[in-house]
Amino acid sequence: MRLRIIFSVLGIAMFFLIPKLFADYNLYQFCLIAVTSLIVLGLVIVTGIAGQISLGQSAFVALGGYGAAILATNWGVPLWLGIPLVAVLVATVGFLLGLMTLRVEGHYLALTTMAFTAIVQLALVHADAVTGGAAGMPVPSFELFGKSLSTGAELYYLIVPITALLFIVVINLNNSRTGRVFAAIRQSEIAAEAMGVNILVYKASAFAASAFLGAIGGGLLAILVTYLDPAQFGITQTVYYLAIAVVGGLLSPFGAIIGTTVFVFLPEFLQTFQTYLGLVFGIMLLGFIVLRPKGLASLIDIENLKKIVFKSRRESVGS
Amino acid sequence: MEANILGVNNVTVQFGGIIALSDVSLEVTPGTIHAVIGPNGAGKSTLLNVISGIYSATKGDVSFEGERLSGLAGHEINAKGVARTFQNTELFKEMTALENVKVGLDRFHACGVINSALHTKQWKKSDAEADEAARELLKLVGLGDDETSSAGILPFGKQRRLEIARALATRPKLLLLDEPAAGLRAAEVEDLIAILRELKTNQGLTILIIDHVMALVMAISDRISVLNFGHKIADGAPKEIRESAEVIKAYLGEKAADAYST
Repeated sequence: MRLRIIFSVLGIAMFFLIPKLFADYNLYQFCLIAVTSLIVLGLVIVTGIAGQISLGQSAFVALGGYGAAILATNWGVPLWLGIPLVAVLVATVGFLLGLMTLRVEGHYLALTTMAFTAIVQLALVHADAVTGGAAGMPVPSFELFGKSLSTGAELYYLIVPITALLFIVVINLNNSRTGRVFAAIRQSEIAAEAMGVNILVYKASAFAASAFLGAIGGGLLAILVTYLDPAQFGITQTVYYLAIAVVGGLLSPFGAIIGTTVFVFLPEFLQTFQTYLGLVFGIMLLGFIVLRPKGLASLIDIENLKKIVFKSRRESVGS
Repeated sequence: MEANILGVNNVTVQFGGIIALSDVSLEVTPGTIHAVIGPNGAGKSTLLNVISGIYSATKGDVSFEGERLSGLAGHEINAKGVARTFQNTELFKEMTALENVKVGLDRFHACGVINSALHTKQWKKSDAEADEAARELLKLVGLGDDETSSAGILPFGKQRRLEIARALATRPKLLLLDEPAAGLRAAEVEDLIAILRELKTNQGLTILIIDHVMALVMAISDRISVLNFGHKIADGAPKEIRESAEVIKAYLGEKAADAYST
């Protein structure tokens, strides 16, 4: 317990210290990492933990971002309300998409969800009355209590806490019944069903959760990039999210943060390599699949850390 | 006579042109251990898969405590009180032994998504209760010292027993065991016999067991049904089965049966 309090205090102190130490541009990057890791977290849940391969993540991101932006532009729904509202709707779409797992699995599920991404992207291109078509649309500014947030620092105070909260919720759920059932489904569907688990509902819920996180991420991403166009949400982008998840560690929520940090910062360090960036990512992905299938997160022994934390908790309960 | 807990009524299962079970009926009395034996390919596993909802019967139906099970999904059948183990063990291999059991237990210790998401005091309490209940079950099958081991690295005999503990976690009234003794050493079979007897006498559980290992079947069964090529050829107390010419023929061939009867 004590260790937990120390970690929390350290975390909060760091949260307030960082804006003092870093330039606005860096804070913007941190926001980008937070948002992307939220999107990748969705993939960690559905593909990593529940074992249902999904190439639909960028479609959920698109629906979340466009949805909130369209509500704000056409109906004047403020983004702080529109983003969660749309995310709930997108989660429903995700649930319905997840019900498909009754009929398709494995490679076919990958292809079907990829088709979903392609369809959403096409719809965005062709519904130009509301989406601005291929040219895209500007995102209205995010206003809270009459103040519009736009600088890296302002957005940092909005985005990082939301991300942290959602990560805590996901990590907690992953360490309770829900996470256990998802993992059970990944490891043996037939046994999970025999243990009384309605696997179809759980698989669909995993998709709903990934859609929800993708849509929240999409809404926040829209605020960050201030302009949406369909090219940002294609199949390439969905594969990019999957690559981040694999490099970070598909089974670990922390892996989403680690992977995203690498993918956001690496291009900075490889400025001179810019043309070969795709190649670098490709080789990295291949390397991880072959050598470290559980990703960067597996290099840090999270299980061991957990044991230390839990042990200290158990002892403090006992005393 | 007491009403049966499980009734298999004229079940036929057909896969394309292959008839795996043909017009099989059997009744299981509550509180007994009922064994189904038969040579390889006799349809024993098919029978278990029909009862647990993995396959559906082409004809006939299965009833449990007077309710029809046919047409229900596997998880619904489990919720009614029927749990099973698997012949080739279907453990959640990356999880610890304790977590495996908790998957079965969880629904009795649920405390809502919000409590789980925030790990509130209430969640901690119910999680600790689930841990305690899971430890009890592991102790019952003799795995008290293995709770933190990954299921996948446990020796085979222990994996089999972990499957039983996991099935018991769903609080069944009827336990279906698919060849629990296959591949076990003699000493492990003795342990298994002790566990099954304990479950029957002290927990009042009804058990339907499929196995080849006669040492086990003859030692614990109250009643035995014999399948051969999808047909039920005999049904009775262990002593009757041991002496049935029909059964000896199925297992050892016609000559052996003649030799035995003369």
